[in-house]
Amino acid sequence: MMAGADTCFHCALPIPAGCNLTVMIDGEQHRVCCPGCKAVAELICDSGMSQYYALREAPEPGVGRPSEEASEWRVFDSDDMLSAFTVGAGDDTEATLYVGGVYCAACSWLIESTLMRLPGVAAAELNPVTHRLRVRWRLADSSFSDILGALASLGYEPQPLTGDTEARPELMEQRMALKRLLVASLGMMQVMMFAVGLYAGDFQGIDAEMRRFLRVVSLVVTTPVVLYAARPFFAGAWRGLRARKPGMDLPVSIAVGTAFIASVYATLTDGPSVWFDSVTMFVFFLTLGRFLEMRARHRSIDRTVALSSLLPNTATRITPGGNAVVPVSQLLAGDRVIIRAGDAIPADGVVVSGRSSVDEALLTGEAAPQRKAVGDSVAAGSVNLDRLLEIQVTRTGSDTTLGTISRLSERARYARPAFVTLADRVASYLVVALLAIATVVATAWYLVAPERAFEVTLSVLVVTCPCALALATPAAFAAAGSRLSQLRLLVTNGNAIESLSHADCFMFDKTGTLTRGAPEIAAVVVLDENYTEYDCRLIAAALETASSHPLAKAFKLDDILPPVEEQHVEVGQGVGGMIDGRRWRLGNAAFVGGGTASDDGAATQVFLGVDGDPVAWFEVEDTLRPDAAATLQALKARSLRLALLSGDRTAAVEALARTLDIEEFHAGCSPQQKLAIIEAVQSKGERVVMVGDGINDAPVLAGADTSIAPAHGATLAQTSADVIMLGDSLAPLTTAVTMSAQTMRIVRQNLAWAIVYNTLALPLAALGYVPPWLAAIGMSASSLIVVLNALRLSRFE
Amino acid sequence: MSILYVLIPLALLLLGGAVWAFFWAVGSGQFDDLDTPAVRIIMDDDQKPGDGNDT
Repeated sequence: MMAGADTCFHCALPIPAGCNLTVMIDGEQHRVCCPGCKAVAELICDSGMSQYYALREAPEPGVGRPSEEASEWRVFDSDDMLSAFTVGAGDDTEATLYVGGVYCAACSWLIESTLMRLPGVAAAELNPVTHRLRVRWRLADSSFSDILGALASLGYEPQPLTGDTEARPELMEQRMALKRLLVASLGMMQVMMFAVGLYAGDFQGIDAEMRRFLRVVSLVVTTPVVLYAARPFFAGAWRGLRARKPGMDLPVSIAVGTAFIASVYATLTDGPSVWFDSVTMFVFFLTLGRFLEMRARHRSIDRTVALSSLLPNTATRITPGGNAVVPVSQLLAGDRVIIRAGDAIPADGVVVSGRSSVDEALLTGEAAPQRKAVGDSVAAGSVNLDRLLEIQVTRTGSDTTLGTISRLSERARYARPAFVTLADRVASYLVVALLAIATVVATAWYLVAPERAFEVTLSVLVVTCPCALALATPAAFAAAGSRLSQLRLLVTNGNAIESLSHADCFMFDKTGTLTRGAPEIAAVVVLDENYTEYDCRLIAAALETASSHPLAKAFKLDDILPPVEEQHVEVGQGVGGMIDGRRWRLGNAAFVGGGTASDDGAATQVFLGVDGDPVAWFEVEDTLRPDAAATLQALKARSLRLALLSGDRTAAVEALARTLDIEEFHAGCSPQQKLAIIEAVQSKGERVVMVGDGINDAPVLAGADTSIAPAHGATLAQTSADVIMLGDSLAPLTTAVTMSAQTMRIVRQNLAWAIVYNTLALPLAALGYVPPWLAAIGMSASSLIVVLNALRLSRFE
Repeated sequence: MSILYVLIPLALLLLGGAVWAFFWAVGSGQFDDLDTPAVRIIMDDDQKPGDGNDT
């Protein structure tokens, strides 16, 4: 567990200064960041599940923090909700939930064990890959909200799903592939057994009757292997032919098809030999290779996350008979819904009554709240900030702006990188060449030794199948992509891996990239000995509850705050109020009552005073990401040039550059200037990686060879960067650089292997030294080697 | 050797049964999660509530 001394043991977020909460787990003291995490950690070990901490993978900061409102789940107990989200009734109710925040097997074990301890729960199964939890229970013993509440109290975000979500394409693909793999493997084993009998018979003599019988039995077993397990190859070959782009499926299909037909013919006419064993083995190994490749491809992040977790579960619909809380999935265009302050808007719509401001940062990247009045349109996923709004729904679900955006970014994510397409094109020329060679070989053998012509041609077709070549690149990219997503780097553009491996120069944006982008208290200086640092923070936090100033966020504390009376906000000055009968003020020096502090210009100073005397001052600044310095050093050690591009004041940028030991920095840049700098560097022939905030730096990101953007949670759906950093840490950047180099190395190894193998095997097969069964083994082994070599990337550290 | 004429068809019948059972299991979702069952075995369910603090 990588949670260091200053991060929370449970949720891995940094522990605020002055917080001294700890939990005892297995005899050891661990520090936590807030009472909520303490409660969850204690709940987990009091229920005997402390091994969760030993078994989980490195925690993602923030995952597992308990949500604040547990009572919100009550709405799910109504009959409407139950009928919408559950199947069956009474003793045997079943619900499928999407559980956000699950990231490893330990999570699923924790959740399942916890649910199984609730009264009446008969079964709970969570698939951490799909994030889907199926729970079956007696409604009389536990209510639906008990189950949802139990999940929320563990710090996960449950989201009830309605029926149709099970039929997801990857799952269907995997089930189909498993069935095909099984048919091919069982078929191969059986046919191989009969083949041993047949080969032994060739040497020792065998009844003509028995030989015929074994051949017929092999035919019976091979038929489903060819017609069922090998169907994707035939379908692929047909698609390739129609599109005039023959892929590797074509020679596979020709080999499998002709060998099967020739064997059937030999069986019926009692011909000299059959090739059922070669056919089944060929199909089995190919299916196995495809299966491994599919698994690597599927192991990328669950794509439903982006959309579903941003929308609320329920909406308040206005009906003639009063307001009703309904699941969002039941909203229709034309419905009127009420949106309370602080709620996310469930669907696209038009304001019909009320006036409020709405946070649309998710969609437009615009951080400032937008004013909305009657007639204005609002978008799903944005958040209503201050007053009640009534909207008329215009679009719901995947038709909304948000849905469209996430669909677009998903399409980009699945687009095939140019590099892979190139390999495909090369493979397709190769296929044509191989078919031509096979024809020449067939003709030559037909003239020289007609009885062996078919067998030799078959071997040539099988042994030279460019499967390994076609798999070399996509398998490596898929494995690298899935490993990177485990490291919290989401590759949305497949070319990024290649371009990252050629990078010469890293350009960083400052705010929100190297820094967290949210103000934090950097230092507390206590002037009055009667108070501790933590007292001051508590008082400041209590006073700031009234304020909506951006700096107020920095003072927020997850602790029990002292009650404040006569709380008031003086615009441009600060906040004040009565605590324990004394008049406290928090704000600028003059407002608080004097006091000075050293002014180095980098941070903002906020003073706390009581009855006109200063008690403490806080230095509030946008803090560096914890591992920024270490990451930059590691990048430098890889002889990459680093530069800082920022729109901020020169003093602040220079200070940061000095702290991080970056020689080159450009301050006060507009996006156009940043782009010009990047283009100047590119014109010198260097490849530039831009690491910047997806929102303000969009053109700069687009101009760089590779763009990397941190995901500030909400902006995930709209950023156009090639790589998205999830989570708070910059360290994955170094891994990504190393890994991209390693990926390209593996791609080159794979390509080299495939080419060497084909050039060696082809002449041998053409001269008749390779029997079909050996050709099948050779070809399959070369493909498997390529896939397994690529899968090494998924263990990359 | 004529026993083979009975045994091999019998084996094929069993094979058919196995394939049918596997198809059923896949269809009912038992193979949807191929990752966690491998590690699930190392997680003990027999730790009693409250044990966590003193073991």
